[in-house]
Amino acid sequence: MNLAIVLVFAALIALGILVRLAVSRSLPAKGNSSPATIIRPIDMEAFRNLINPAEDDYLRRRLAPKEFRSVRRARLRAIAAYVQVAARNASVLVRMGESALASGNPQFAESAHRLVNDALLLRRNATFALARIYLALAWPDSGVAAVRLVDCYERLSGSAMLLGRLQNPAAVVRLSPR
Amino acid sequence: MLQAHSLLWHYLWVAPNVLLLVLAALIWSRRLQKQFPVFLIFAAGIAIEQLVVYIADILPAVSPITWWRIFWIGLLIEALLKFALIGEIFGLVFGLYSSVAKLGKLLISGAGVVLVLLAAVVAAYTPKDNIHWIVAGAHVLEQTIYIVECGLILFLFGLVAYFKLTWSHSSFGIALGLGISACVHLATWALAANGNFAAQYRTLLDFVHMAAYHVCVLIWFYYILGPQKSTTKSPVILPENNLELWNRELERLLQP
Repeated sequence: MNLAIVLVFAALIALGILVRLAVSRSLPAKGNSSPATIIRPIDMEAFRNLINPAEDDYLRRRLAPKEFRSVRRARLRAIAAYVQVAARNASVLVRMGESALASGNPQFAESAHRLVNDALLLRRNATFALARIYLALAWPDSGVAAVRLVDCYERLSGSAMLLGRLQNPAAVVRLSPR
Repeated sequence: MLQAHSLLWHYLWVAPNVLLLVLAALIWSRRLQKQFPVFLIFAAGIAIEQLVVYIADILPAVSPITWWRIFWIGLLIEALLKFALIGEIFGLVFGLYSSVAKLGKLLISGAGVVLVLLAAVVAAYTPKDNIHWIVAGAHVLEQTIYIVECGLILFLFGLVAYFKLTWSHSSFGIALGLGISACVHLATWALAANGNFAAQYRTLLDFVHMAAYHVCVLIWFYYILGPQKSTTKSPVILPENNLELWNRELERLLQP
């Protein structure tokens, strides 16, 4: 009977989640803030510095092991904060891209699809990166390879720019030379 | 009224399956089968299987042992169709995006393996509720199928929520109906397989089971044939200053 109670409770909780999802889907979205205004800017250079292995090597040489571990943990927490913001931005871009796809305009379809794909890739990589960062927090002497994430974020920015340009051609797009 | 072979009992067993056959016919006539080929097979297959079990139940010529054999075969077909349908829903949601399709497939396969193991452990601890193995085994098999089904559907909803993907109206309805049916059936079968209830309470559980299935068929009707929820009112959803926002980001990124 105990097993039955556990299964019934599990099934009821699952049912509650599904019903809540169905109800929340049928209700109009709260607020009218545009997804683009939710995007939080990311200081990419600061992030690049944080994940630069040369900086870590420098700190390792200069600091005592105990001090290095403490500094490294602080840097890892900062990296995690950046990655979380990037992942959140990516999820906003998924919504924006899917809305553009749902509009059915063939002009936007390709760029919107690419934006969603890149945003999902970033979200996936961010999850892996966060897992690595939290692992590295336990072992601060290990290296964290988040460089792929930076490349992904850059590509995502490009996709969003392209989609924005297609949706609003009147707006002037300024791209600084690298 | 809440007794086996009452009018309500007959209605709840027959009506949802007839409705499901009608739904399958409407999907075919509206040429929606290209969109949901597995759901069409699922709807027709489950309805026919349930109606065969019903006819076997009311025919006096069919012995109890033959009825349970038919029930077992139906159960296995049902399980195959349900898991194929979950695969189809997964494909509809994740198949469009190559960046997560492979990972999603890997995750859902992993979740499936874990759920099968969990269901096997639960089945091992489930007491025999009938002296005839064919009856007790059917209850445990139902419970096992519903544990895996319920877990997979929840995992799918979780994965979609995590990646912030948007369900299409129809995919959401199919998954919701399947999920609700799996949850209610898991609860009722868990009680039936573990509870050692008297026959009258078993019949009550059957009523809950059948009523939930009826509701799920109506959910599928609504989401597949009902009006599609408009997701966008305007084709341009980005604000006017979106380029400025991204420009600012890129300028900052490109600064030496």
